[in-house]
Amino acid sequence: MKKIYILSLLLSIPFLSHAASAASQLEGGFKVGPAIILISILVLFVMVGILFRAKDTTDFYAAGRGISKVGSGMAIASNWMSAASFLGMAALMYGSGYHGLAYVVGWTGGYVLLLILMAGQIRKYGKYTAADFIGDRYYSQTLRAVGAIIAILISISYCVGQFGGIGLMFKWVMGIDYTWAVIIGGSVVLTYTLISGMLGVTKNMQIQYVIIIISFLIPLFILSYKFDYFWILPQIGYGSAVSDAISGIPLAETNQLVNSLGNGYAIVPVPEYAMPWDTATGKTFFQWIAIAFSLMIGTAGLPHVIQRFYVVPKASDARWSVVWGLFFICILYWSAPVYAAFGKILSANPEVGQLSKDAIVVYTAQLGSVHPLIVGFLAAGGVSAAFSTVSGLLVAGASAFSHDLYVKVINPDASPERQLLFARLGTVLMAIIVTIIALFKLALIGQLVAVAFSLAGCTIFPLFLLGIWWSGSNKEGAIAGLIAGGLVSIIALSYFIAGKTGATWPLHEFVEYWLGAWYFAWIGAPVAIITHIIVSKLTKETPVEIRKFLIETVHS
Amino acid sequence: MDKSPNDYHISFFKPTTAQAKANRNMVVWLISIWFIAIFGFQILLRLIEKPTPEPAYLTFQTVWQNATSESPGIFELQEFGKTSLSVLGKIAIDPKERIALDNALSYSLYQLTPDSLKADFVLKIRDFEKIKLEIQSISDPEYIVAKKLLSAELSPILNLSDLDVRSKILPLELSSENVNNLTDLSLKSLPVIMEKYLIHNQSFLTDTKFLGFPFHYFYTAVFLLILFIVLCLIYNLKTDKLNGKLNIAD
Repeated sequence: MKKIYILSLLLSIPFLSHAASAASQLEGGFKVGPAIILISILVLFVMVGILFRAKDTTDFYAAGRGISKVGSGMAIASNWMSAASFLGMAALMYGSGYHGLAYVVGWTGGYVLLLILMAGQIRKYGKYTAADFIGDRYYSQTLRAVGAIIAILISISYCVGQFGGIGLMFKWVMGIDYTWAVIIGGSVVLTYTLISGMLGVTKNMQIQYVIIIISFLIPLFILSYKFDYFWILPQIGYGSAVSDAISGIPLAETNQLVNSLGNGYAIVPVPEYAMPWDTATGKTFFQWIAIAFSLMIGTAGLPHVIQRFYVVPKASDARWSVVWGLFFICILYWSAPVYAAFGKILSANPEVGQLSKDAIVVYTAQLGSVHPLIVGFLAAGGVSAAFSTVSGLLVAGASAFSHDLYVKVINPDASPERQLLFARLGTVLMAIIVTIIALFKLALIGQLVAVAFSLAGCTIFPLFLLGIWWSGSNKEGAIAGLIAGGLVSIIALSYFIAGKTGATWPLHEFVEYWLGAWYFAWIGAPVAIITHIIVSKLTKETPVEIRKFLIETVHS
Repeated sequence: MDKSPNDYHISFFKPTTAQAKANRNMVVWLISIWFIAIFGFQILLRLIEKPTPEPAYLTFQTVWQNATSESPGIFELQEFGKTSLSVLGKIAIDPKERIALDNALSYSLYQLTPDSLKADFVLKIRDFEKIKLEIQSISDPEYIVAKKLLSAELSPILNLSDLDVRSKILPLELSSENVNNLTDLSLKSLPVIMEKYLIHNQSFLTDTKFLGFPFHYFYTAVFLLILFIVLCLIYNLKTDKLNGKLNIAD
């Protein structure tokens, strides 16, 4: 099978080269070369999914716990490096300059918290899903169900941004309407997840990581070389491009360098691109801090991230997989700002027109006259990034639906076949909901994904943090904390949705600023934690068997 | 001796075993470094920053009164047009603000054009606007020629050299609407727009260069990520060592 696949790829190379010119336009038109690359990669994913498909529920949920720490680290990175990382982060920096770095810091710094406070302990607790932990630790079926519902909501919220990214890339490659692009892309990722489950997903994630990172890095070397920066390490070389943007590049100094539209590699001074919380970006110091903080605690509360620690054999593997995962993630996060910097300079002419910020990675490569096939590969990398995350999220959501809601709460005697059926039913349902929401294009990809982080930071994070580190944390405290964190989330999201529909509620501006949809966890998480502690102190003690388990198993 | 139920208590802040104590101390240290490195630096940036205007803003302040007076000077109008172009060249501009800036640019050029040529000037802008609307692609030869001609003709009026990047933007930002006057919106909003786009928060941390980067940018975009990996490495190595010392198996 592998031989046939490799042969078909080799046979398609001449055709790809011939078709390359079609990709030279920034927008519109079916791009044959990139389309073939994209389809080949998707076929590869599905084939890997089939080869390593889930055979039973243990495989579907937790990949049989047979993944090494480096492999798991790669899977963590691939799972993590979503459309928000691949496309959205450069978009945020391109549009908001230094403010975008709050996302870079938030999405990496959270791993320190995750490792130090949770990774090993979560593995030692030995459950399958986040809701499993919540239900057991807080000895409550209701909390298990609520945990499952929150996990589903977080997965949906996270997936919306990914489907948006998939839609943008399918739109770019196929030259079709955004709506159809989202529907087609969503259907493909759904099919793949249904075929494989998490075992296939984990194997795929390792392949996806390699594809994502190679496709992301190649254009950077080319751009740095072409525009005369330190190309051996573009992640450092682009520093001069940032400084160039601040001071401006006069036409006299462009050395005949032009973008693909023929505009000189020149720009008026744009210090707002790099200066902190610049008024030109409309972003403030408070927002920078709130976003970084919310993303960090959200990282430590995301069910699909936590769930990855269940697939390693030992607690120490869980810990080391975080280090590997973070290292692999940072390679992409050091690189994303490079696209934003080059994009800023290369699009510094009104003729370039209004570019969709979320596709700036691809546009930058195009404007830098990178070979169309490499741009096509880059777009395919963007789709892979979204795919790897979506499949993990859909599995996490399906696990919550089938394992935590159906089996643990509704029908404990369900056969493994029926469990798997419900897992797949949950996956389809989630994919449909996500597709519908993604069609509304509510915000930038990175911002949409950040909503999921704040939601996790206000709800799941306090439950895990206190549940692991304080035996005094009890069911009543957990319920009170969840209500407090949930209320903050509901207020923030209601105002956000109202704003999108054009409605103006009392104190609208105040709430939208202080409880922004992408950073409401800055206050929601502390409120939830404090409420949790106070109520736990005032109510009856945690049962001794739970405390014993914490001491003898989790912290032994 | 068996533990009584009251002995089964875990609290991060009140560790009862040697391992828990060592772990707590390590976590407190690492999180303190993590917290100060991230938020401490941003707070420092905030504390020492000073609003620093671009040269274009200082020019704008000097010429604004004169350029909007009944009888504006040539130099003032030229600088007024050029500062508008300095902001327009930033590209990422709010559409409403762009209208005001386009108005300022077109107005200053109109005022600088001799009375006998004013009608011709407006006609040329309208012709170019028409071409822009009709073309399918910016590689259209008619469009390229018209753009170059307009740039070559109008740049000298603003005293812009051919090698000034603003001369390439100039024809694209001209607007035939309200060309003979500054609208109320422009008069009201231009000082605010200039302040918004031409004043930046700077300090020695933003002005110092490190490996080509502004230092604060390098610190946040590159160094912090390295620090996170190092903190994770330290934690794992120390935990492995501690587990080995206390004979704790996973």
